[in-house]
Amino acid sequence: MSFLADMDSLVAYLLPLAPHLILIITALIVPAIGFKSGKAAAFFSLGAGLFAIAVTAYMMYTGYKGDFEGLYMFNDFTALMIMLFLVVFCLVVLMSISDSERTKHHGEYFAILAIATVGMMLVCAAEEMISLFVGLELANIMSFALVAFKKNDPRSAEAAVKYLITSGLSTALFLYGMSLMYGFTGTIVINDIIYSLATQEITWAYAVAVTTLIAGSAFKISLIPFHAWVPDVYEGAPTPITTFLAVGAKKMGFIVFFKLFLLMFVVVHFLSAAAGEVAEIHQLQWVFALLAAGTMTVGNIVAISQNNIKRMLAYSSIAQGGYILIVLSVGTDYSMAGGLLHMITHVFMKGGAFVVVAALAARGLGESIDDYKGLAKRAPLVAFAMMLFMFSLAGIPPLAGFYSKFVLFSSAVEGGTWIWLVAVAVVNSAISLYYYARVVKAMYVDKGSTTERFRVPVSFKIALAVCAIAVIVIGIYPGPVMELCEMASFEYINGFLEWLKSSPYV
Amino acid sequence: MEFFEIDIPFMLLLLVLPLIGTAFCSLVKRDANQGAIMFSGFTLAVALVYVCAMWTTDFTESFSTGWIETKYILINFDLYVDGMSMLMIVLTALLVFLVSIFSSSEKHNPRMFFAMLMAMEVGLMGVYMAHDYFLFYIFWEIVLVPMYFLISGWGGPRRHYAAIKFLIYTHVASLVMLIGIFVMVFEAAGASDQLNFTFSAVAAAAGGFDQLFQTAAFGLLFFGFAVKMPLVPFHTWLPDAHVEAPTAGSVLLAGVMLKMGSYGIIRICLEVLPQGAVAWQPFMIVVAIVAIIYGAYACIAQKDLKKMVAFSSISHMGMVMLAIATLSGMGIGFAIFQMFAHGLITAVLFMVCGICGHNAGTREIPLLGGLAGKMPIFAAFMMFGFLASLGLPGLVGFVAEFGIIMSFFEYLLSIDMIWPIIFALAALLLTAGYYLWAMQRSIFGKETDRIDLSDVHDVNKAEGFSLGVLCALIALFGIMPSIVMKLIEVVPLVISGVIV
Repeated sequence: MSFLADMDSLVAYLLPLAPHLILIITALIVPAIGFKSGKAAAFFSLGAGLFAIAVTAYMMYTGYKGDFEGLYMFNDFTALMIMLFLVVFCLVVLMSISDSERTKHHGEYFAILAIATVGMMLVCAAEEMISLFVGLELANIMSFALVAFKKNDPRSAEAAVKYLITSGLSTALFLYGMSLMYGFTGTIVINDIIYSLATQEITWAYAVAVTTLIAGSAFKISLIPFHAWVPDVYEGAPTPITTFLAVGAKKMGFIVFFKLFLLMFVVVHFLSAAAGEVAEIHQLQWVFALLAAGTMTVGNIVAISQNNIKRMLAYSSIAQGGYILIVLSVGTDYSMAGGLLHMITHVFMKGGAFVVVAALAARGLGESIDDYKGLAKRAPLVAFAMMLFMFSLAGIPPLAGFYSKFVLFSSAVEGGTWIWLVAVAVVNSAISLYYYARVVKAMYVDKGSTTERFRVPVSFKIALAVCAIAVIVIGIYPGPVMELCEMASFEYINGFLEWLKSSPYV
Repeated sequence: MEFFEIDIPFMLLLLVLPLIGTAFCSLVKRDANQGAIMFSGFTLAVALVYVCAMWTTDFTESFSTGWIETKYILINFDLYVDGMSMLMIVLTALLVFLVSIFSSSEKHNPRMFFAMLMAMEVGLMGVYMAHDYFLFYIFWEIVLVPMYFLISGWGGPRRHYAAIKFLIYTHVASLVMLIGIFVMVFEAAGASDQLNFTFSAVAAAAGGFDQLFQTAAFGLLFFGFAVKMPLVPFHTWLPDAHVEAPTAGSVLLAGVMLKMGSYGIIRICLEVLPQGAVAWQPFMIVVAIVAIIYGAYACIAQKDLKKMVAFSSISHMGMVMLAIATLSGMGIGFAIFQMFAHGLITAVLFMVCGICGHNAGTREIPLLGGLAGKMPIFAAFMMFGFLASLGLPGLVGFVAEFGIIMSFFEYLLSIDMIWPIIFALAALLLTAGYYLWAMQRSIFGKETDRIDLSDVHDVNKAEGFSLGVLCALIALFGIMPSIVMKLIEVVPLVISGVIV
């Protein structure tokens, strides 16, 4: 009996890390079994991923909140983000099932992928800077290996080296910022740091620490001017891994921003409201607004001239990051809900677009937009799905991308300060329509060199169907997903305010 | 009359039927044209029954159901129909039906073509029925996509340029309008957390909007609508789009899509932001006059028949704007009437242009001449259309223009400044001038030797039917405008009640 009681308490002790542990165990088992075929290893990982999603969803459904040794927490916000990363994981696994270029090391491939995902999930859950950093690094180091997985392709190796160098630099910057921050706040607990940052005078040390922290994370999100590595790496990496970086790894950076800076602005607002003053705008909010405006503008304008579809999607990914950054300058829970929603819809629309690229590459089609000419005749359903993803990315209703942009942009109108940012975003949205429509035009209007029909592998079909259905359903009936995002953002911000009220600071 | 008892699903049928039509046309192996004719015919029948039914009710119907309701956002699937939207709905249904018949011999990828026509109908119907800003915007944008494909897939030689220009230009305008909507919804929400996007919620809060806010929001929304109409100087997408679009696309573009702009101005700008309208009134009048004169003036210089008709649309939509800008009940009433009249007439004109380009091989006016001898029926329709468009008494265009100039005159009297009426009259003269001149050069006179007329053939049955129906309606409503007026007159009273 006592053994069982111990088991119970052990389960309760580890429960906040349940989804992480499932993937960690998977990552340990998959290479150990030594799968001969890639398919078996993939199905095993896929099963584990889906199981982890189910567990997380169940924990969220039961309203479970937990904390692991003050290092990692589990609440609605982390649950939502963990599920997002798990969905990305499953999507990438699906895309990797019939990757003919990977002839051996199947087990290792999926194990590394699982560990990288665990790293991202740890970032969501981290409560203090060291665990946050561990998560970031775990995801990063695993990503290098993944980017370089096509060993015989020089482009893949080049991409991996580029990624290694920029990522190393960003990590160093981040760590430096962290150490400085520890110097003048005296703590590594994120909540305390936020309060300390929000109330301190801006000194040189403060400015340098914050700048390096922003720069370090900005590399991950590929904000202007830290974006130059993105197109090369996205182009060179195997397409499933490009997907992983574009729709998964990127979100890590946003979570770091949400954790550190969004809450800081919330504290500033809260304190000024408590003192009965007009809510003031923190200087950093302007910094983020400028970053957002620059990022979306550069991303969209450069994307216009790209002929390689992966590069075009890379730049469009940069631009989408700019949209999400609007959340940081607005800093309300409504806008954060919009940001989370856009992160979710981005997984499906950008992920779906990359699935199409990978599926077509598996059938020998090139990566140039010209290769997509006449696709509507050759593979009607794939072309239709691609059209959905393109229009969704451009924000044409009634697709998912429209709704998330709708919430995001509308949140910035509140108060009137950021109307100029909305105007910039709107102009960008229109620019982006040009290059997305170009792909659609190539597929539907232009004549291809051949009209020979072909089929894509089943695993891609499933991935495409999932993404396309998600894009349509979230677009037409966004209520439930929106509610989840609102719940997560409200709990996240409100939970922090509750902590603040009960803390010795106030 | 039990039969005319309006049920909830009845209104939805107007959206659902074209939607099924879209799916049907894109999925069938062949005979997509008949599918399109069938489904647009059903839709037209439903719309007509609905109009008849409205006579027995108080001319407004609404339908509401919840859609997205979260902590921060409330969006309903609200539909609302009154005389103005009903008129536009009937016009849409009619034009899509006739255009499907007109283009029934389309050979190039007919499945996609007719699916796009039906998809357009879904969007247009939605715009004219939506009573929720989110819904309104969705339909507003949905219309762009099929139009883009129609131009890009079935258009003339410069179609790709025209299509993308159309798409980007109007998309930018829509987004500016969207900002206007956000601003309005936020102002209406006030201190409450939840943004309520329904028309009714915003209208309920609109009384509290101050003058400055109304002026600003009006500007944002007006820009979005003005590009769609289009008003000079935001019109540059229109000639390109029209010249390159296939006939079916042009007819729907000029016939009903441009009206989305003026519809939006009346439905949203005037109803919700009347003080903004008063502040912008001088600007609107100037812009309207510039559009009328510029459009008519540009027509004279055009060599391409279709481009001339496109510019004449700018001029006629300027008339609509002028009527709206008087902000009087009569003006708005005739603006709606002109929207309807222009929809019918311009459909004839673009069909005639299409036939001319297809049968005679060119639309260049200097190359044409004496077509009446070879294509008598075509010439008759063309003459009828041109005369209707220049406002010949007895036809529907005359009633509209007469009413508009009358209401403009009334407005000028009220501000004690009569001379600007010259502009309106000059525009009428110019209009008569370019139409008669174009007619003289193209269908009358000596038979041309600049193009090969040996195998030119006249209007075929499908084309003749579409044109015949439209011409009959133009004559009918010219003689008995009261049928349309009855539908309209409920609307402006409501609006002018707000303004005065």
